Amino acid sequence: MQKTQAEEALGMELPTRRVESFHYTDLRTMLREIPDNASGSTGGNYAPLVDTHLLSFNDGKLADDQVLPKGVTLSTDVAKATSSDINDAIVGMNAVTSGDAISLVIEGNATMEKPLGLGHFSSNESRNACYHKVLIKAGSEAQVISRHTSKDGVASLANTVTEIELEKDAVANWFVIQQESISANRLARINVSLAENAKLNLFILNAGGKLVRQEVKVDVAGEGAHVDIKGVNLIGDDAHIDVTTVLDHNVPNTTANELFRNVVAGNGHGVFQGQIKVAQIAQKTDAQMACNTLLLTDDGDFSAKPELEIFADDVLCAHGATVTDIDDDHLFYLRARGIKEKTARGLLIKAFVDEVVEEIGVSEELEEAFIGIIDSWLDKNA
Amino acid sequence: MPAVQETIDTVAQLDVDKYKYGFSTDIENDMAPKGLSEEVIRFISAKKEEPEWMLQWRLDAYERWKTMDEPEWARVDYPKIDFNDIYYYAAPKNFEDGPKSLDEVDPELLKTYEKLGIPLKEQELLAGVRRHDEPSQLDENPSDNVYASGRVAVDAVFDSVSVVTTFKAELAKSGVIFCSISDAIKEHPEIVKKYLATVVPVSDNYYSALNCAVFTDGSFVYIPEGVRCPMELSTYFRINAENTGQFERTLIIAEKGSYVSYLEGCTAPQRDENQLHAAVVELITMEDAEIKYSTVQNWYPGDENGKGGIYNFVTKRGDCRGDNSKISWTQVETGSAITWKYPSCILRGDGSQGEFYSIAVSNGAQQVDSGTKMIHLGKNTKSRIISKGISAGRSSNTYRGQVSAHKKASDARNFTQCDSLLIGDQCGAHTVPYIEAKNSTAQFEHEATTSKISDDQLFYCMQRGIPEEEAIALIVNGFVKDVIQELPMEFAVEAQKLISISLEGSVG
Repeated sequence: MQKTQAEEALGMELPTRRVESFHYTDLRTMLREIPDNASGSTGGNYAPLVDTHLLSFNDGKLADDQVLPKGVTLSTDVAKATSSDINDAIVGMNAVTSGDAISLVIEGNATMEKPLGLGHFSSNESRNACYHKVLIKAGSEAQVISRHTSKDGVASLANTVTEIELEKDAVANWFVIQQESISANRLARINVSLAENAKLNLFILNAGGKLVRQEVKVDVAGEGAHVDIKGVNLIGDDAHIDVTTVLDHNVPNTTANELFRNVVAGNGHGVFQGQIKVAQIAQKTDAQMACNTLLLTDDGDFSAKPELEIFADDVLCAHGATVTDIDDDHLFYLRARGIKEKTARGLLIKAFVDEVVEEIGVSEELEEAFIGIIDSWLDKNA
Repeated sequence: MPAVQETIDTVAQLDVDKYKYGFSTDIENDMAPKGLSEEVIRFISAKKEEPEWMLQWRLDAYERWKTMDEPEWARVDYPKIDFNDIYYYAAPKNFEDGPKSLDEVDPELLKTYEKLGIPLKEQELLAGVRRHDEPSQLDENPSDNVYASGRVAVDAVFDSVSVVTTFKAELAKSGVIFCSISDAIKEHPEIVKKYLATVVPVSDNYYSALNCAVFTDGSFVYIPEGVRCPMELSTYFRINAENTGQFERTLIIAEKGSYVSYLEGCTAPQRDENQLHAAVVELITMEDAEIKYSTVQNWYPGDENGKGGIYNFVTKRGDCRGDNSKISWTQVETGSAITWKYPSCILRGDGSQGEFYSIAVSNGAQQVDSGTKMIHLGKNTKSRIISKGISAGRSSNTYRGQVSAHKKASDARNFTQCDSLLIGDQCGAHTVPYIEAKNSTAQFEHEATTSKISDDQLFYCMQRGIPEEEAIALIVNGFVKDVIQELPMEFAVEAQKLISISLEGSVG
């Protein structure tokens, strides 16, 4: 097979749909050409969503005006992770693309007053890749907002690889807020490992971007660990948004709960691949996964692949997936009460996704901010 | 307590011989040279006295197969198959000239049928006790002829040839054609030409292409317009000869407004080498027609250590071509070392329906990767998938399914339920569904669960004096009930027994 411009530029092979984990996102075809490495910002900087202890990355470069809370140690002396496995193509691309790598060590209750912010902004048609390595020490708790934005109309290609290690009893409340411009592409991977009784609460909100692939890989490696992943994917016209999660249960007595709600408008393509793996020794695993989709138009499509791979017998694992349009009965109920069809549809879509945000249990300020993002997307797209 | 007694009997039987179909019949075979080549294909075609167009079609398929790669995506693990180490044609020699009447049937073969569990009435027929048009002595009311219950027309395929088809004449009265595919190629070439490989194209996949090149026999069913087939049709497949592959081809066409129920059963001798079975089954339903296709697959699964057994690589697909037509697949999979099988429905006609009911039981070192595809193309199409996987021993049991709605498939509806039950901590159960919606009015629901038999259920039974093994059998039977009730009566009993046999020894 002849190499594409992108493959030449990166010096690596990109996965096609023949690679099972990229079945619905043929990276090789969708990214035949990629822009050059970023050579610095060409105007505009990251604008925060809420007040945070901010680390901002403009076109992959860490800005030096950070003010960190007590208990958080920053280091820039980190090597990026790399992988030659085709399934880890995003990690491989991250390693060969320009952009800063940082490591954070979080101790105590460092982010109690206000969350830690990792703000990303792409200002021009170039590619950048950040790498974040985060260690949350035993018994510590951290709240982190990792947000991704770009200048309107630029066809940037951003890549973020995040590695989070949770020590014993540590808690991570991690929010991924993706609001790239509708012409920007973003590839991301989050790897999490959990020690004994650690808790991961991950929330993913996708409300922008052209080609977006968010991978999440969780290694549940400590007994009593709990994983909670919730997400809202708003897939607009021309967008291709893929969320792929793998939960690897490797020890007994762990629990996981995964819920995604998706809305597809225009001719958007939505993808959800969720895999729950339970190793033979991981008895008493309780893992549940649900993925519900509202497909608003016949031009859009949604593909779901919720997988269970189970080698232990004493487990409770379940997944459910639905794809449908707005329920006629619900619509009728509202219309019978004098609400216009358009308004009624809007209300029902909003209720469908807001429910997830309400369930994550965050501060009022954050909840309002997240719902605000959803509302403005719905105004424009649905 | 007849139910309990039955379980005890079943278990007692098992101690003696676990796989009761593991006999081999000592019959002289006429074989093609080992290996796969153009000559072998010409040999098979000549043996079958096929017309030139069929030979060309086979050779064309062979050319295409040579350019294809063996698929590796399924969750099954086996050493590479040497396609040149297989006999592609084996025919019981005594049938070389074709049996003129059933009296000429080799008694060894009749014994085989008996062991295969072919219903008494057919054995009587096979043994020449009575002729096709005579009423059976077993019928209480001889005048109640054609529509008498319990009558099943049988096509028995032994290695590479169809040895006998019963009730042909009676079926012909209502216009139904039921014969071996080789006969159909000779006698009804216009129908075969029109429909063959229109549902599963020659180069659909590696094994379908191989099947097109070397298929030896199988059944052909044609139900004319408006006819409700007067009896159940059935085929028994048996691989007997050593180192042979069985490549059967089944084609069923139900014309407008017709109905047929077709059953398929299969067994093989206990051998240490692996044998290959690569079949292609094509179903076509026209407007308002319905085909119900039931399979009880009981190929030799290999021994506990995974030695021997059948590699079952099968392509089954139905095409609901006409509006409001229906295809229903029901399968009970207990045998085979490796199963690779996805009976699917193409819901092309508006208002057509597809159903898939499956029980897949794996024990020992068996590997099952099975499921279905429901391709919604027409408007108001409906599909329903109920899959029950039971894994025990060191086996691996995967459900792999696809449900997709085309852009024009408005109001497509699917419900999928796949439940897995794990018995023992050395086995694996996997679920890999692909859900693809391209139409907003499509409504897809998928749910899957994996668990072991709940301690509460087991405790409840045992507390009432039911021993553990029986309690488990009872719970398992409840678990698979949704599917069992879709099977024709005669098969339902057999299937229930098979499941308990397959799971024997997996408890404790």
